[in-house]
Amino acid sequence: MLNYNSPLVKENSYSELSMKVINPIMKLIIRGKKREFLSGVGKAINMILPTESCTSSTSNDTTALWLSPDEWMILSNNVIDKNTNSYEQENHLINNISKINLGAVVDVTDQYVLINIEGKKIFDLLSTGCPFNFNDFRNKKGGVIQSLMAKIDIIVHHKEINNVNLLVRRSFSEHLYSFLSDAASRI
Amino acid sequence: MFLINCPFCGEREQSEFKAGGEAHISRPKQPTELSDDEWAEYLFMRKNIKGIQFERWNHSHGCRKWFNIARDTSNDQIKAVYKMGQKPPVI
Repeated sequence: MLNYNSPLVKENSYSELSMKVINPIMKLIIRGKKREFLSGVGKAINMILPTESCTSSTSNDTTALWLSPDEWMILSNNVIDKNTNSYEQENHLINNISKINLGAVVDVTDQYVLINIEGKKIFDLLSTGCPFNFNDFRNKKGGVIQSLMAKIDIIVHHKEINNVNLLVRRSFSEHLYSFLSDAASRI
Repeated sequence: MFLINCPFCGEREQSEFKAGGEAHISRPKQPTELSDDEWAEYLFMRKNIKGIQFERWNHSHGCRKWFNIARDTSNDQIKAVYKMGQKPPVI
């Protein structure tokens, strides 16, 4: 984890909405197409990658998000040790995937910021700047979409009903967070 | 603005996509044997018709995959969406 002081307010609360930045969380991007890749990842992190589009799968300590037919994001469910840059699962994946040329494993822990939004009005908030139609998505637990929010690329993970994880690139996070705070205060 | 049905992610808004120009233009097998005019023809000349046009699109703010669509350029109606490598449908 970078020794980086985030300018984001750690937690913000509004009526029926609360936002908080959760860090540090391990984030990895894995890419690969072969069948051996899928089974290798399954062995390395003890879970099956979601192959259906716009879905996710969760185990006790890890969540895998479907990003594209050959790309997934692996997140740790819990906060990790701040003073490390090496993660057990990443090492397993590198040994089982990258080193034998089955696919790519990239650590993006410091590239993405995870914002957790809770409350009944999550999708009213997201609809203020996102062109995606959330009508079906709001009832689909575990859904994952990538879209735009105020022209910023975001990944939305519907973790639980009334609980959504938003992943955004670090350089855009401050702008997005202030956009969300402003929008949330007006809903 | 219109909706595009990404073959991987489903229906999304056009602002998530980037247009990639006319589809099914194959690169000449021996570029060195072409005259400048023929090379320019391949590089720059596009049909840009009014009516159904086959185009490449990229879901750049979503799954980042390329695919083809058949779009009526006069009213932006999308007649077909098909993956890269597939033959254009008969419309």
